[in-house]
Amino acid sequence: MTAIAGFSEMVTRNLRQSGIFAAFVLIVLLFSLLNSNFLSPGNLTNIVLQYSYILILAIGMVMVIVLGQIDLSVGSVVALTGAVAAVLVIRNGAPWWVGALAALAVGGLVGMWQGFWVAYVGIPGFIVTLAGMLLFRGMTYRVLDNVSLSPFGGTYYDVANGFSTNGWFGGYGVDVFTLVIFGLAVVGYAVSQWRTRMGRIAYQQVVESMPIFVAKIAVVAVVVMAFGYQLAQYRGLPNILILLAVLILAYSVITQRSVFGRHIYAIGGNLNAAQLSGVKVRKVTFWTFVNMGLLAGVAGVVFSSRMNGAQPSAGNMFELDAIAAAFIGGASTTGGVGRVTGAMTGALIMAVMSNGMQLMGVPQSIQQMVKGLVLLLAVAFDVWNKRRADAR
Amino acid sequence: MTDATRVPLLSMRGISKRFGGVEALAGVDLDVHRHEVVALVGDNGAGKSTLAKMVAGVLTPDTGLVEIEGVPVSIPTPAAAHALGVATVFQDLALCDNLDVTSNLFLGRELRDARGVRDDERMEQVARQILRDLTSRIPSVRVPLAHLSAGQRQSVAIARTLIGSPRIVVLDEPTAALSVAQTAEVLMHIEGLRDLGLGVVLISHNMTDVRSVADRIEVLRHGRNNGSFDARTTGYERILGAITGAVRADLGVPPVAAAS
Repeated sequence: MTAIAGFSEMVTRNLRQSGIFAAFVLIVLLFSLLNSNFLSPGNLTNIVLQYSYILILAIGMVMVIVLGQIDLSVGSVVALTGAVAAVLVIRNGAPWWVGALAALAVGGLVGMWQGFWVAYVGIPGFIVTLAGMLLFRGMTYRVLDNVSLSPFGGTYYDVANGFSTNGWFGGYGVDVFTLVIFGLAVVGYAVSQWRTRMGRIAYQQVVESMPIFVAKIAVVAVVVMAFGYQLAQYRGLPNILILLAVLILAYSVITQRSVFGRHIYAIGGNLNAAQLSGVKVRKVTFWTFVNMGLLAGVAGVVFSSRMNGAQPSAGNMFELDAIAAAFIGGASTTGGVGRVTGAMTGALIMAVMSNGMQLMGVPQSIQQMVKGLVLLLAVAFDVWNKRRADAR
Repeated sequence: MTDATRVPLLSMRGISKRFGGVEALAGVDLDVHRHEVVALVGDNGAGKSTLAKMVAGVLTPDTGLVEIEGVPVSIPTPAAAHALGVATVFQDLALCDNLDVTSNLFLGRELRDARGVRDDERMEQVARQILRDLTSRIPSVRVPLAHLSAGQRQSVAIARTLIGSPRIVVLDEPTAALSVAQTAEVLMHIEGLRDLGLGVVLISHNMTDVRSVADRIEVLRHGRNNGSFDARTTGYERILGAITGAVRADLGVPPVAAAS
């Protein structure tokens, strides 16, 4: 029998997932009421640009956390990779892509270094990356000779600040290309939801009733198109949003549809079982850290491009933002649970809160306190929800 | 009897293993034939699980010879064991609570399609087929293990052994945490494995289970062989005597000829 779940049942069944989205929507509504500029084209674009590197880091971080590890070094790695790019591009006049590739390579090497210690020597990721946090921060100071380098300018600057696709399809006052891309995204979402629904029906699993299903897609479509329209009114599609979309899609597939992804979940869920089942625990652990290093390299490029330079103290505390994003997005502290999409929502909640509070002129000190409490409450909600599920 | 049936499916000779100062196994022999359920019994710490882990590729023996169908093999990893056709159900249920039934069945041996991409659809079909064969009461192959009962989890663990058509199945305390009805189901499944022509090693504390399903009972005591008994004809007292040490294997209890 195909069961059809009512609205309230859907909400309770997916409380964790729907809870995080509901919280996100509430926060956006709250800030848009408190500040008329919040949903303006310029500010929406700004949110995307301002927190893109946290989103990129959160993708790698949620994988590390699902594995049952943690990475405290990513802030320092962002600084180091940005510094390497700056030295090559600004000091030595290398082309922008040489700097970007070098940053990625350094990120990959850092990941290999940390992956080696965690996977093959067996030192907890907490310790290895705490050491890495100091090590790579120190290296950043050495690479930069204790001074800041700026400006990148040119193409490197455009990576995080440009709108390269603006005007491809023309349009007056609105960028048609942006609207087309968002339209395609909505269609893609609807199709994938429909296929999931058909699959569930074929396997006689619970699905929402048709009106709720249609309403859900309609709401998503309206929200996404509204966002796209606002961006199109400003300067079109930021380069960084394209990069983010590609990364999120690619990593959703890797984590949910690949053997490697499943092995990450298995190791985090039950290390012993994974080992006994023939999962190559060391290899998977190693490559998960290499991946984190690479993504930290990407974030390093984006951040240095955004700042148009490299500072020795860049990326300070980024690791905490990325970790908070993963946990707010539903990752479990014990490993084995968490999704890229959840971490993205978590990161966006952090981004929207920071941006909204900044617009309202809330002092930095209060902002920190609010973010700390949100993290605590999100994880407390998770724990409460799990206990409730166990009691059932 | 032809040669092919006389060569044991699994033959272990003079297996020894030390953990630091502790001698877990000292020169243990074990033979398993096709169509045979061999029960490995013994008190706590007798070395049963250590022996099972060697067959499963989790531990490697310090000394001794392991042969599968007459070919000397080494089993360094669980993956190697699987490649050799050995499937194991571990005492501490090697399952991931956060993954669904299909993922657990195929963990570490996921099917891939022609392009090398994980083939979820085919894995689900096979999973459904296997669970149907086992007449297990799993609501759906997409349920996470955390939502299943102890008996259902055990069914999944046993179903795992059928993935990739193994020759030898090792079951470490498969009925330890089960109700009477669930135990009966597991025992029926073990008989099913024997009928398929597999060699089964059953490790258990439960003499009733052992005597109802095993063909031969091998007793371990302090890491040594302490008697081999025909399960159907040997009395409960004698086996218990061998387990506790009241009867010594080398003092008058003749080992029963292996093939039955």
